[in-house]
Amino acid sequence: MLSAPPSIPPFSGFGLGLRPPHFDDFLSEEPVKSVDFVEVIAENYMVEGGRWLRLLGLVRERLPVILHAVSMSIGSAHGLDCDHLFRLKALADRIDPLWVSDHLCWTRTSAHNAHDLLPLPLTKAALQVVCENIDTAQSALGRAMLFENPSSYLTFPEDEMSEWEFLSDMARRTGCYLLLDVNNIYVSARNHGFDPHEYLAGLPLDRVRQIHLAGHDPATLQRPVIIDTHDREVAGEVWALYAHAMSLIGQPVATMIERDENIPPLAELLSELERARTIVGVAAGTVVSA
Amino acid sequence: MTAAPGLAERQAAFMRAILDADAPLPDGWGAAHAVGLGIYRGNYRHALMEALASSFERTGKALGADDFRQARINHLIADPPSHWTIDACGAGFDETCARAFAPMPHIAELAWLEWAMLDCVGAPDAPPITPADFAEASARFGDAQWLSLILTFAPRAKAAEVAHDLAALWTSLDGEAAQLAPAVIAQRGGCLVWREGERATFVMVSAENACAFAAMQAGARYGDLIGLIAGDDPDDRTIAAAAGAAGQMLGLWLAHGLVTGFTAPSIA
Repeated sequence: MLSAPPSIPPFSGFGLGLRPPHFDDFLSEEPVKSVDFVEVIAENYMVEGGRWLRLLGLVRERLPVILHAVSMSIGSAHGLDCDHLFRLKALADRIDPLWVSDHLCWTRTSAHNAHDLLPLPLTKAALQVVCENIDTAQSALGRAMLFENPSSYLTFPEDEMSEWEFLSDMARRTGCYLLLDVNNIYVSARNHGFDPHEYLAGLPLDRVRQIHLAGHDPATLQRPVIIDTHDREVAGEVWALYAHAMSLIGQPVATMIERDENIPPLAELLSELERARTIVGVAAGTVVSA
Repeated sequence: MTAAPGLAERQAAFMRAILDADAPLPDGWGAAHAVGLGIYRGNYRHALMEALASSFERTGKALGADDFRQARINHLIADPPSHWTIDACGAGFDETCARAFAPMPHIAELAWLEWAMLDCVGAPDAPPITPADFAEASARFGDAQWLSLILTFAPRAKAAEVAHDLAALWTSLDGEAAQLAPAVIAQRGGCLVWREGERATFVMVSAENACAFAAMQAGARYGDLIGLIAGDDPDDRTIAAAAGAAGQMLGLWLAHGLVTGFTAPSIA
């Protein structure tokens, strides 16, 4: 760690991934009362001007905003893209987000960009690269970041540790925080045959500041792999895993519903958010489960 | 930075296998890895094909589904993305179309127009100078100031010479039941693209106007523009006519809100 980044205090709330179809809802005269924050895909706003940047500024006047990046490529052996980092910092300085996040993954080599969240070998060498890149990113941004556990469809023969051990060491060595995607844990656990409860028990849960909940495409006879799709409602098994996670996490966290395809009317997402609220209430003992 | 022996090679092999289904599996990978790799390859292709479809909606309508799909595939194979934003994958798609559909040159021009308009969307905000404001500011210009005048245009505005009436083509491709209108124009024309407020827009102009715009955008002075129009060894009458033509161009740029600033270095 270059120097300890500023700490991120816990934030308690329930939010949504804000996508273009719902901007009007969030900018209408009648505020969306049951949403405590929104998260946006950072790269969509890493521009110099225009309508979308202005609208994001208007939303920010009403609600806390989280910048969720998808192209930092923190696991790239070739280091970070300076232009991406520069533009992300400019956006963060402009929006003053709750925090900035990305994924434990890589997306690019020195030559090409896959525009997908690709898995890393879970090795000491890869961990070293990731930690150095996180140090660079946090130092450039002047803030600690959150990193999200990815969903994955393959593992590497050279793996030397579990994903939760990798994430734990990464957080300890860099001072970064964790964005826990419960759906991703479920998807990867099913695809790779590990116990999601062991995964949760092995994480430094005090470093968790945010939780993602999303839908997935179940395995079929023809395709024995679950795919993280963000195109449907959260599955029952994922809600159960979320309830278990919330019973383990000791501090307030920000919980969010993430939908990127087949985006429904806002009311449907708010209904899912209410379910998360109820689960947290049950975990905290303030709501009696039916 | 500490070297990461093995990781760079692993990532390069993984990337090769995503880009090319015929590339060998990375070392140590078997059938189970091939299943996972297939999902990543499918994600890659789907995301980029969708990004191109979204960026070139009208080009797609003009081409038809099959040709448009093949054009997108050709483009992604020839020019795999390297930029951090997926939107950048559309860069050069007009050139791909020019190569693939040489007998239909309007397709490449339409793709150029769509890309130019998309590129304006996130450009820096810059309010235009109104014709009245420019008239007031330039009222005291002498000849030296006019000749040294440099204009600043709307950020990422673009100009091109074209052989088709892109305005008619654009309109003909509106809506679901789009009909491709014949759009060849008798003389080569020009097209200027910029963002008006928060909306990307374009206007058809003469080829000379587009050429002049590009020259001024590249830093030419107003005097250079008059010289360009007047040609070699002009007489006084030709120079006067050229000055008039340049004035008409400037008037059009101002009227459309394309001019966002100016300097006239001779002014103290």
